[in-house]
Amino acid sequence: MPRWGALNIVVLIKPAPDITKAKFDIERGTVDRSSTTLEINPFDLYAIEVAKRIKRLFGGTITSLSMAPPHAEPALRDAIARGVDRAILLSDKRFAGADTLATSYTLAAAIRKLGSFDIILCGEKSVDGDTAHVGPEVAEHLKIPHISFVIRVVDITRDRIIVEADYGDAYYTVDLKLPALIALSRPVIFKEEFVEPSMPKISDVLRAKRAKIEVWNADYLSDVADVGRFGLAGSPTRVVKAYYALEKGRMARFVKGDESIITLLNTLKELGVIQ
Amino acid sequence: MSALPRPIINELRAVVGDTWVVVEEKAIERYLYDETAYGVRPQPIKDVIVVKPGSTEEVAEVLRIANKYKVPVYVRGGGTGLVGGAIPIKPGIVMSLERMDKVIIDSENMVAEVEAGASFGKLLEEADKHNLMFPAHPGDEGASVGGLIACNAGGSRAVKTGVVRSYVLGLEVVLPSGEVLKLGAKTIKNNFGYNLAHLFIGSEGILGVITRAYLRLYPKWGYTATVIIPFDSRVKAFRAAKKLLFSGFIPLALEYFDRRVIETSAKYLGLQWPIKEGDYFLMIMLAEALEDTLFLELEYLDRVAREEESLEPFATQRDDEQKTLLKIRSEIFSSLKSETFDILDTTVPLGNVDRFIENIIDVEKRYGIWLPVYGHVGDGNVHVHVLNYQGFSRDQLEKITEEVYNAALMLGGVITGEHGIGYIRRKYVKRLLGDTWIETMRKLKAVLDPNNVLNPGKVLPEE
Repeated sequence: MPRWGALNIVVLIKPAPDITKAKFDIERGTVDRSSTTLEINPFDLYAIEVAKRIKRLFGGTITSLSMAPPHAEPALRDAIARGVDRAILLSDKRFAGADTLATSYTLAAAIRKLGSFDIILCGEKSVDGDTAHVGPEVAEHLKIPHISFVIRVVDITRDRIIVEADYGDAYYTVDLKLPALIALSRPVIFKEEFVEPSMPKISDVLRAKRAKIEVWNADYLSDVADVGRFGLAGSPTRVVKAYYALEKGRMARFVKGDESIITLLNTLKELGVIQ
Repeated sequence: MSALPRPIINELRAVVGDTWVVVEEKAIERYLYDETAYGVRPQPIKDVIVVKPGSTEEVAEVLRIANKYKVPVYVRGGGTGLVGGAIPIKPGIVMSLERMDKVIIDSENMVAEVEAGASFGKLLEEADKHNLMFPAHPGDEGASVGGLIACNAGGSRAVKTGVVRSYVLGLEVVLPSGEVLKLGAKTIKNNFGYNLAHLFIGSEGILGVITRAYLRLYPKWGYTATVIIPFDSRVKAFRAAKKLLFSGFIPLALEYFDRRVIETSAKYLGLQWPIKEGDYFLMIMLAEALEDTLFLELEYLDRVAREEESLEPFATQRDDEQKTLLKIRSEIFSSLKSETFDILDTTVPLGNVDRFIENIIDVEKRYGIWLPVYGHVGDGNVHVHVLNYQGFSRDQLEKITEEVYNAALMLGGVITGEHGIGYIRRKYVKRLLGDTWIETMRKLKAVLDPNNVLNPGKVLPEE
């Protein structure tokens, strides 16, 4: 039983390929995740750090949830070394081929299966998918408040959290009632502290190596979800075409002489860079 | 404009093409320097032309012309040397091999066939496509492969992998006469004739021009980790390092630095050194084919760290974190360069590293100065920066350098472990290597380069 006031903290962790090494299948428009080892998505490291600080304040348990193939297990051990108490891997061939809708549906089902929770933390997006969909969608499935692009946790109590989020055009200060989902940007500030992922202690790395990783399959979630909505079957998204950005390359123009400033200004105006 | 007679320039143009003979002063500027510290860097002669051959045949022709007219040739790779080896000091030709940058990976035999002008970074990139790697890592990936071989480069991994020499299976070398020597093969063993290739490895450009090499590659390590062990005393750090090395434990790298040095580098990069505790650090890089081996090593490191009273050690297997740690370590040199008079490359026998550093601290105290000390404690190669201390004359800075050198020599060490002699250390050759060494080298050079056209004024003292 959690002690009075202790919080059940859930962290969503995506085991992602090192994007500098991952191979892209341009024909199929997918990232070949088997081509490289999987590591904790860099944004999610900040979610772990914030989770540790919340746990320090209130006590409780940090549970991580990841949906990934079995070879993601070292990433989950890394999560344990970095402060996660319990790491759960959702792994089943029936989860494969999931788009963000099916992924978030599966993660939400696993959270229901966990039972009670007070706050869900995740990185704002993953470095391979780059959609920033999954966090907010999980919250929608669970029907709880959520906010993305959080750059600062201003304050947190047992039943509320106040955060600042950067939505590009403005900073929003939002007061959310718990349970809620918070998707974190990087860098992030927790109260007055600048949060940076910390290196694990060697003793924690060794402890994590011996720790138990729970693996949940589709059947295990069948009492809280519709199995037909997992994986490819539950994914309405179809990749029609994939292409590399900057296909045309840079369009450099060289301008010389007295006229160059005028030419430069006109060009920037034409492109809408300045008014 | 070069004083080189026009007919010679025309002959060179006929060989490599007009585009690849550079005579304009501004265009030549970037071929005149290397990474040698400003305090000891020789003043380059600007009266040179830059010639860029595109093939071994063109290199041979250029050398024939140079030999015919007795024009000095300064061969240039990536320009990352630290001893003025590539800096032209007599009127002549700077021969840049930048166009010769092909890398062919023979993955079936785990061998790279590399042209000398290819950058080390390109070699690594191409090998990586085949899940292979070049084991030694001499630091700057902008260095050329030819340069790495000609200078027998070292680096932090030498404790496990040895230096570049260990991976050269074959060489193609052009002699000043224009004759081409093809040495070695793609085999690991080769006893068919004395291995002349090793004559040219580490010859610093004075015996022949390396144009191509067969390099031995290895499969990439499957599992890596970087461990930082902080200590509250230097003595404890070195005791732990010694214990590790003398137990037969061979990491990929075993580096030492203190907080002041590493934080200077982190700040220079706009980063933070992530370890809050301790003032003295061992950084240990592990690389293994099997995960279980790696974890056994982590357990061993944890045990030794505790036995030797370290503070809490940290370990990461994440690529990005390992790269950041290595970057901070690697950029110590750059972070200090603007205020460095000279970077010393002293190397002592393994068991004497701690005594050497105690001697350096003694020099620091006597002069009331900071001598940043860091390096490859795993192979005894310790770098010491002599800085441009305010109010110190050049003579005083040179005296401090001498004292550091003497500290290494007294302990059975040498004054350079990986940087070489080049220009800046020629003055020590007579005293430390002796007349017989000089005479033997001169005879050797006379056989291969009778007109002394290759890198004159380097390595050997003036006659």
